[in-house]
Amino acid sequence: MLSKSQARLFFIGGTIFFSTIFILLTVDTVANIDPRQHTENLTKSVIHGKQIWEAENCMGCHTILGEGAYYAPELTKVVDRRGKEWISVFLRDPEAMFPGQRRMVKYDFSDQDIEDVIAFLAWIGEIDTNGFPPEPDLMPATTITSVAATSASEPPAYFNNVCVACHAFQGNGGNVGPALDSVGQRYTRNELDLWLADPPSVKPGTAMPNLNLSDATRTELVEWLLTLK
Amino acid sequence: MKFRSQRVAYLFFATSLALFVLQIIFGFIMGFAHMGYDVLHEIIPFNAARTSHINLLVLWLLSGFMGAAYYIVPEEADRKLYSEKLAVLQWAALVIVGVIALIGFQFGWWEGRKFLEIPRPLDYLVVIDVLLFIFNIGMTALRSERFTTTGSVLLLGLTAAALLYLPGMITFESQVIDSYFRWWVVHLWVEGVWELIMGGIMAYLLIKLTGIDREVIEKWLYIIVGFTFLSGILGTGHHYYYIGAPEYWLIVGGVFSALEPLAFLGMALYAVTMARRGGMRHPNRIALFWTVGCGVMSFVGAGFLGFAHTLPQVNLWTHGTLITAMHGHMAFWGAYVMLVLGMISYAMPQMTGRKLFDGWVPEWAFWTSNVGMIGMTGAFAVAGIAQVYMERKIGMDFLAVQEAIEVHFAGLILAACLLTLGVLMFVWNFIQYGVPSDEAIRDS
Repeated sequence: MLSKSQARLFFIGGTIFFSTIFILLTVDTVANIDPRQHTENLTKSVIHGKQIWEAENCMGCHTILGEGAYYAPELTKVVDRRGKEWISVFLRDPEAMFPGQRRMVKYDFSDQDIEDVIAFLAWIGEIDTNGFPPEPDLMPATTITSVAATSASEPPAYFNNVCVACHAFQGNGGNVGPALDSVGQRYTRNELDLWLADPPSVKPGTAMPNLNLSDATRTELVEWLLTLK
Repeated sequence: MKFRSQRVAYLFFATSLALFVLQIIFGFIMGFAHMGYDVLHEIIPFNAARTSHINLLVLWLLSGFMGAAYYIVPEEADRKLYSEKLAVLQWAALVIVGVIALIGFQFGWWEGRKFLEIPRPLDYLVVIDVLLFIFNIGMTALRSERFTTTGSVLLLGLTAAALLYLPGMITFESQVIDSYFRWWVVHLWVEGVWELIMGGIMAYLLIKLTGIDREVIEKWLYIIVGFTFLSGILGTGHHYYYIGAPEYWLIVGGVFSALEPLAFLGMALYAVTMARRGGMRHPNRIALFWTVGCGVMSFVGAGFLGFAHTLPQVNLWTHGTLITAMHGHMAFWGAYVMLVLGMISYAMPQMTGRKLFDGWVPEWAFWTSNVGMIGMTGAFAVAGIAQVYMERKIGMDFLAVQEAIEVHFAGLILAACLLTLGVLMFVWNFIQYGVPSDEAIRDS
């Protein structure tokens, strides 16, 4: 059996040995981090985004790289998932996009702040994370075959970036609002235009927020929606 | 108690318990928010509640460790504390920094880095405060004729904990490097040097409570803390799997963190065996309950439940879900909360001269709080497993999943009520003891 002095030697020797290995691995990690995190893309905007991320304690609800709190969504790949345009609309008034759901603090971000936060999140999304977050692997293997795939032209970019978060088109998209496959049959140009300009004033209490669309975007959306018969 | 100056531990223990109760209140706020009743959103949003909950835990455990050290070190050094006045000053500074930090959190004065949210200016005050503490107990040890292994391990743990606070104060531009060194503080604390503190305090309690020969206990102490560092240092790698660090961390972290339960198993066997072999029937049975309970529950919470999701092929799916909360709650409870409560249970009769450890209150405090914590861990486990399958494996929307698991938070809150009842009984017992008395000083 070990004597006390042998036990002490085991403790001290083991600690020194494994600390040394740990420090060597740390040196190697720091030396080889550039290609994994794309250090060259670490712009002023990304760094400012990180500062905002920390100043507002976003990790107090969200996780990033899987680290943080478990109250709000994982954001490592959020730019891939939602797109920059959607995030930028969302950050202006988080609750408007998810009415009646779990609440996020509304921050008074400037346009520059929002751009920087998104730059930070986009940079995070590019990191080589050894496969995190994984793709769902128990997803029911359904292939959506589109019935009316040819009847409409390609949706405007804004539609693909923002609207699909809540509305479905040809079987893809969210289910918060109604599917829009035949919306052109039901409404006139004038009605759609009024609605998109300010949904809550047309129908108080609606879940759809005022997205403050530019005239050009609104017209483009209305014209396209009218083709969906 | 042997020296009058040991009584300063009382201030730290009382602070610990007050902050513990406050920590539980913030926990309830979060539990209700998860259940869909985020009623305090405008005043205390989730991130403020969470930051308060976690930092209160760290602060009150540190306060408990400091109290334990002020009580143990003079006895192990066989001389009075170097300076009792300095200890009181250091206590007051700790409380002031803690209160400022806690109030600051409610107004968004923080540094949003998980576990290290205390803002930078206060970090410096924390460092000064801890240096005062280390100086005081260090001088006590240096000025003595002899210093025991138990005392040395405790002192080494506390000094290393102070040093490891520093990497958390460096500013990095890259989130990857920032996260890398943040774990130097967080992981190397709770799965490294804090276990040294735990081993030291536990060895002291076992020596006092079981009557087993010091040489035997201290030999095993070396072996256990040896295993802690053997596995725990490179085990830091389990935080480096998915943050952008190189791929070899999957293997290094996987292998060594899988060995981490051995240290906790050692701690559990050590406590149970020593308690069984001990010939001396110490009248303070409840202190032995907490000590042995600490060994066993730390193995279940930190060892077993940690192992349950530490392998990379499991962690890929569970990383950043409520599974982590499941492990975290019972790990901290078993390893550190029960240890501090055990130390308080042992020290209070010694400091006040009152023997209030026999009644039903302390015993029920032990069982109720433990059953509550086991229930809470179960609720987190069910919610976490459901979350992993629905969100990660099937790909359901985050908010839809959260709504589906709200019911488990009702279970969590019920179990938390039991825990709270137990903790309040413990606090009541503590209050009944009153303050340290000079009549309790004797040569033990």
